[in-house]
Amino acid sequence: MTLRIERAGITTVQDHGRSGWAHLGVPTSGAADKASCALANRLVGNTPHSAAFETSGGLVITALHDFNVVVTGADCDAFVDAEPIRRCVVTTVHTGQRVRIDRIREGVFSYLSVSGGLDGPRVLDSQSHDTLSRIIPLALSEGVEIRLGIPHDATTSLDIAVSPRRTDHILLQPGPSTELLSPAAQADISKHSWVVSPMSNRVGIRLTTSSLLVNVPAELPSVPLIRGAVQLTPAGELVIMAADHPTTGGYPIIGVVDSDDVDGLVQLPAHSRVTTTWNVEK
Amino acid sequence: MRIAAYGQEATIADRLDSGVAALLVDDVRMACINAGIVTIDVIPAAQSFVVVHSNKDSASVQLLLADLLTNRRNDNLTSSFGNTVEIPVRYDGADLDEVARACGMSVDRVVDLHSNTTYTVEFCGFAPGFAYLHGLPEQLHLPRRASPRARVPAGSVAIAATYSAIYPGESPGGWHLIGTTSLRVWDTGRTPPALLQPGTTVRLVNIS
Repeated sequence: MTLRIERAGITTVQDHGRSGWAHLGVPTSGAADKASCALANRLVGNTPHSAAFETSGGLVITALHDFNVVVTGADCDAFVDAEPIRRCVVTTVHTGQRVRIDRIREGVFSYLSVSGGLDGPRVLDSQSHDTLSRIIPLALSEGVEIRLGIPHDATTSLDIAVSPRRTDHILLQPGPSTELLSPAAQADISKHSWVVSPMSNRVGIRLTTSSLLVNVPAELPSVPLIRGAVQLTPAGELVIMAADHPTTGGYPIIGVVDSDDVDGLVQLPAHSRVTTTWNVEK
Repeated sequence: MRIAAYGQEATIADRLDSGVAALLVDDVRMACINAGIVTIDVIPAAQSFVVVHSNKDSASVQLLLADLLTNRRNDNLTSSFGNTVEIPVRYDGADLDEVARACGMSVDRVVDLHSNTTYTVEFCGFAPGFAYLHGLPEQLHLPRRASPRARVPAGSVAIAATYSAIYPGESPGGWHLIGTTSLRVWDTGRTPPALLQPGTTVRLVNIS
């Protein structure tokens, strides 16, 4: 089974990422919205770790054999030739047909999973494209042919599309530097309304606000970063670590966001509003 | 020393002495295995390390680490038990003259100080295989360059703040470039891919 890339658009290949190498400075990478990617694989009968396309639009592929596809994640205009395909509904594509994901309607990342999963070279056990380290096991460009793994017949379609988690409110759990914030500064962070910056990407989600009280040191000894760690930059922005986050960093980590919430945050388009509250329980 | 939850799926030990974290990671991994805790990553940094675990039970990891760190406190952690790597360095970096001026010494003295020192990898970060080498003589401590370079070639030997490092691949960088090495410190086709891992002892050999 094979497919051909006609146009890559804003697309990368992603799987579960390369965890286990962070101590050598290698980002985990993998799907930005893990839940949506895992769902796509689940519906088309793949293992959760299979590689799929993560796209923000402009992807066109041609089937060189018959196979099944499914689209999950951000709502998008997707077609098999001229026929629209619905999210979370498994569709059979025949040899010579084209699958297109034109435009994202709502959200940031859609996932196109193909029965058998995308096969290809691995770097450190993963096929994921790491945008920070520029680890690109399989570069997508026009004419590239990608082999598929062995398909599984057990596909599932959903009557109602599952949309990505909506995260317009985040719960901040304490982080290594939370106590450097005075109670007033902590309250100030949760009082502000935050806006998703257009600088947000697979590395981190940047939230900006105006006139924040900042009273923490600009730089501290480097600490390990994890997905969901929230840095406060000297400019008064919050940066929430996403899939391709660096493994260590020196800005104070004032909180941590749950992994599930990161799935939702990465799907927020630029200029979305986000509020925060502190989880004071522990 | 402090041990605390770092979200639900990670636990941090921080406020450690510099260099200690790298020497503890193997013991931490082993202790987790023995306790049946599945770890995804054990990541050292400057004065801290983090255990990323697959369960959401940080409390049990915190207990384990408290136990381990209390026991290890009495041991001599300054003796490195990593392997030793020798790196041939040609002292021909673009910033060598500037570094000598800023440190108020001759270029020869900079080379002498930098190469006649035993370093230990404190942690990796910034890029795959980028090792922060602890042990830079105090006379060579300088803040980063005011404006970082857009392109630093792979193999550049550099210093900044209290560290020395070797750029594993071409990348932007704000460190002072004092030399080059032809040794590949990062190669994903090799096992392990990083020549310099947390705890590794490093000797620089001047081949200028």
